[in-house]
Amino acid sequence: MLNVGIIGLGHMGRLHMMNCLHVDDVEVVAAADSSKRALKKAKLVGVKHLYTDYHDLLKDSPNVDAVVISLPNFLHFDSIQLALEAGLDVFVEKPMANTVEECRKIVRFVEKSGRKLMIGHCMRFIDAIEKMKATTGKGRIGDLQVVTIEQILNGPFAHGAVPKPVPEWWFDPKKSGGGVLIDLGYHLIDLFRFFVGEDSKIMFASFDYKFNLPFEDGAIVILCSSDSYIKGIVNVGWYQKSVFPEYNFRTILHGNAGYMSSDDLVPRNVYLHTVKEGTKNLLRRAVGKKIKPLSYSYYYESYYKELQLFFDCVKNDSDPSVSAIDGLKTVELIEEAYKTFGEKRFT
Amino acid sequence: MGDVVGLVQTHSSKEDIKNSIEKALDLINFKPKGPVKSVDIKVNLCYYWHAATGYTTDPQVVAGIIDCIRERYGMDIHIRVVEADATAMRTKHAFLMLGYEKLAKEENVELFNLSNDEIHQEKVSVDGREIAFQIPQSLLKSDLFINVPKLKIMRDTKITCALKNIFGCIASPRKIVYHPFLHEAIVGINKILRPDLIIVDGLVALGRFPIELGLIMVSVDPFSVDWIASQVMGYNPSKIKFLKIAMKEKLGELEGIKTLGESVIIFKKIFPKENFFSSKRWWGFQLRLLRLYTRIVKDVVPPALEEV
Repeated sequence: MLNVGIIGLGHMGRLHMMNCLHVDDVEVVAAADSSKRALKKAKLVGVKHLYTDYHDLLKDSPNVDAVVISLPNFLHFDSIQLALEAGLDVFVEKPMANTVEECRKIVRFVEKSGRKLMIGHCMRFIDAIEKMKATTGKGRIGDLQVVTIEQILNGPFAHGAVPKPVPEWWFDPKKSGGGVLIDLGYHLIDLFRFFVGEDSKIMFASFDYKFNLPFEDGAIVILCSSDSYIKGIVNVGWYQKSVFPEYNFRTILHGNAGYMSSDDLVPRNVYLHTVKEGTKNLLRRAVGKKIKPLSYSYYYESYYKELQLFFDCVKNDSDPSVSAIDGLKTVELIEEAYKTFGEKRFT
Repeated sequence: MGDVVGLVQTHSSKEDIKNSIEKALDLINFKPKGPVKSVDIKVNLCYYWHAATGYTTDPQVVAGIIDCIRERYGMDIHIRVVEADATAMRTKHAFLMLGYEKLAKEENVELFNLSNDEIHQEKVSVDGREIAFQIPQSLLKSDLFINVPKLKIMRDTKITCALKNIFGCIASPRKIVYHPFLHEAIVGINKILRPDLIIVDGLVALGRFPIELGLIMVSVDPFSVDWIASQVMGYNPSKIKFLKIAMKEKLGELEGIKTLGESVIIFKKIFPKENFFSSKRWWGFQLRLLRLYTRIVKDVVPPALEEV
């Protein structure tokens, strides 16, 4: 049995905590959050050790083997360092840290500690992306030429079913590390690296400030792989009103023999998909089989899949497919875009 | 006693909007109650959604109103654009994100968060229910209190316009506590806060989807505005619960309501009406089904639907 601590019980932390409850041979034994309300929820699902300060959880480490960190971006560096020093394996939400300098230090901490560090690059685990990745290099679209990836949503300004204020740290670029590029754009740049699989550089970046905030809410970035010269076009925004289950995201792989779009690989009707997958889970439950958590939502399932992979790596002592190097390289590209083409750098 | 409601078709240029507001004010022959030295303009900034979504008051409309007021009552009057924090929205961010800080600089007006005002608690009785409200006191002192609502639908109340926008003046952010008795709360707050003038921003209205309606609607009576707004949006106003309660509470009367200017039909024809019977049931059905499913299967609820 792997004992897990959850650090940060906000939007993503709670999702990870609930997902952990479905992973075999994993028990959530500790949780830390400054909100007592959030800790109460953790207690309700059976978490025994609760802390209002994550430093206390990391100091105590009550039989904890691994931690899942979902703190605000500016706390990633500190919490990863302390967790690795405490001898724990770490899963951390993206971005790994806000700056290249911090990311490089984290890479060194990982090497020194010998522990596992996996970054939450969840979009690699979306069913459609996994299918596209499995098909690339097999002749279906010929040689890959251009990858276009776009995601336009509300980001942190999304309005949930129960209204809650947007946490204040999102409005402070010194804490968030920037705007939409380091938030959603991080995933899209990682997906480009995922498909192209090489070192890349930024050719061009353009930032938009539609909401007059001191950080960008829209960005268009053109990337190029350093060896094969495959180009990537990333179009990302926080400026569009989006309501669940709408999900304005697509990836298109353009080859010289054809193309492949994620739009063709996601459910045509999300409601029918939900009913279909929900019914399958009901049947699994009825015959005593393990359910597939969140399979009824074709993209939230990716959060479960990435956690499951992390825990498998910890249990089997294998390397996670998303490493600290992936976290570093993605932040390097983002910082390059900000420094070369942005008007501001926030940290 | 109901009142006249002026309807004017407009376009989205600043000059057009200003002229349309002027025209609408002339239609209803608007005269303030006394000398005008201070003006409060209550906009509708329910969340960080751009005016193009139909959810929030367009700063261009507010700019047009400011120009009209200054032309009519002098350049030296003190104008405030006001809004209060809501459960998920913080006014300081909404002012910045939705273009009001820029407007304030250009038009030299003050932006004011009603949640930071001197606040008194007041209680009113509505339909046998006593409701307490946190009232921003400075609103009661302005010479001209202008309500600038949007024309939009809402699942809980069917329509939201003049009366509902005053609900947004409640100083306490957690307005969600009023939602179990929202109709009564809308009437209750309107018993305390009475705007002198209502100018509806119907440039982009919100039905099943946002639509460029190009409507400016003006009156001195919020009840009359909502009565006509319901008709514009294709609903029978006598079936809107908060309007029925408002009549019962003597906050509004049908007698005397009439429109001047453009015909309601012009706007009604293009407004994308929502079928609430099906949408409300469909939404509720989905949530109930999800709750039942997660209870039986012990599956995870996505964060966006948490705590439903």
